[in-house]
Amino acid sequence: MKLNYRPILIKTFELVLLVLSFLIIFGPMTSLFLWSVAQKWYWPHPLPQEITFAYWKQALGIEKSLAIGAVSIVPAFLLSVGIAIVTVIISMALAIPAGYALAKYRIPFGTLVMFLFLMPNAFPQQPIFVNVLQMFTRMGLAGTVPGVILVHILLGLVFGVWITSATFRSIPPSMEEAARSVGATAPKAFFRITLPLAAPGLLASSVFVFITSLDEFTGTFFVGLPFVQTLPLTLYSSSGYNMQFASVIALILLVPSILFMFLIQRVLKAEYVGGMG
Amino acid sequence: MTTSTSITRKGLKVPSYILLLTPAVIFMLLMYAYPFLASIIRSFLDKSGTFSLENYVKTLDLYTKDIAFTFSVTVFNTLCTAILAILLAVYFRIRQNRITRILSALYKLPLFIPFVVVAQMMNSFLAPHGLLNVALAQLGLINLQRPLQLFNFTGLSFGFLWKQVPFAVLIMHGGFQMIDNSYIETARSAGAGMGKVITRVLIPMNKSSILVSLVLVYSQIVGTFTLPYMLIGGKIPTTITVDIAHRVNYFRDFGVANALGVFSYLIVLLTAWYYLKTKLGETK
Repeated sequence: MKLNYRPILIKTFELVLLVLSFLIIFGPMTSLFLWSVAQKWYWPHPLPQEITFAYWKQALGIEKSLAIGAVSIVPAFLLSVGIAIVTVIISMALAIPAGYALAKYRIPFGTLVMFLFLMPNAFPQQPIFVNVLQMFTRMGLAGTVPGVILVHILLGLVFGVWITSATFRSIPPSMEEAARSVGATAPKAFFRITLPLAAPGLLASSVFVFITSLDEFTGTFFVGLPFVQTLPLTLYSSSGYNMQFASVIALILLVPSILFMFLIQRVLKAEYVGGMG
Repeated sequence: MTTSTSITRKGLKVPSYILLLTPAVIFMLLMYAYPFLASIIRSFLDKSGTFSLENYVKTLDLYTKDIAFTFSVTVFNTLCTAILAILLAVYFRIRQNRITRILSALYKLPLFIPFVVVAQMMNSFLAPHGLLNVALAQLGLINLQRPLQLFNFTGLSFGFLWKQVPFAVLIMHGGFQMIDNSYIETARSAGAGMGKVITRVLIPMNKSSILVSLVLVYSQIVGTFTLPYMLIGGKIPTTITVDIAHRVNYFRDFGVANALGVFSYLIVLLTAWYYLKTKLGETK
């Protein structure tokens, strides 16, 4: 009798792949977690010798002491959330009409308009921030919260326009036409018919813009330094001298991203996810 | 197509799409188009504002190595992403069992993690006395007296792949899922082995999503600042993005920063062209 080794080989290979993938994906995350609770961790010990939650308590503002070089991140967190909320409101106010126009009208120079909204995905954005910094320095906006918000709106608007126009495109025009034919005005048809149908997509894109703003680093680094300390910038400035504190902030930054993204990933087109961070 | 118009106060008729588009377009012109053009124009101006190639002379003098480094990191990681992501996405398409379901959920995790967190993670994980080296030493694979030095090309690539392979898998997987089983069955019944099915049916049919994902991965690697900044910093060689930050923050030298920016545009020129061409074609 000839034994068939193939299924066994395949299963073994699959299990090896599974274990390897777990190690590669969770390894760096574990490192972050271990550092966030490490009191003493002298190499070559594989694990911290003493565990402490002092950095967590300090970061979350539960305890106050000057001994461990960590500060409360509550102000930075509130600043980041505030910036993100304003960014969402303004980006969506700009993106919804634009996305609607791109989806529903045949526009002369339409290709040129699309081109403008695609460029930021096609080319590196850092030189943009450098020149925005120069512009903002002249205008007195460099190192200010409004300056940082303007940069975040730029990034939010690009995603916002693409997601909203895709959403509006997916709504059959017959719905709005039916409303118009029974006498509804164009705005009425939009607010009563199209907008409610588009709501899930618009909500998803708002959440997406919110997270993009919350996690944004490079633009804030160029335009906001040294006065605007958002959460990602606090993480950066502590990573050089306080590994534990930086790890705590990194883990805190993970929570909203993973949470919100799992909620909205079904509604999102895969391509947008890549623009994050 | 709708041709509704709005009447302005002066009684002029303006198509409503112009009113809808204007705010967003003006914002993009001021905050994107103007800085973009400025970055190119200013790279050709010296400090007094007259035309000169001074910035480029200085850039090539100081940063040729870094430009080559950026290009090689980008090409290497795009190729690795292509191989790993195609293998994984094909595997998820042809074997659908509990293990592939766990794996495809697992590979979604890095997607949602911002680069600044990935950078901090890699910074602690790949350090000379970090978790990776300690774990390898426990297994007896390396000697901790001489740990792996990973704050360089290798570590940077690990970080990029950690983030970009899942992204490419996600896009490619979507494309592979759209291919009907009947194509695979037809090819198999015509006597094609699984290898032939993959190279002759699955990959060619999914060419567009494979190319788009790789184009996006490529241009993202060129433009990423956080990861190389926190992993390699000012060591030589480093990436263009780190050099730009140093030029701006330490020297206030916007001319050379812009010339470096133009080099990063040049590196993505082909992929940007491909991306814009496909995207504009899709929406027509």
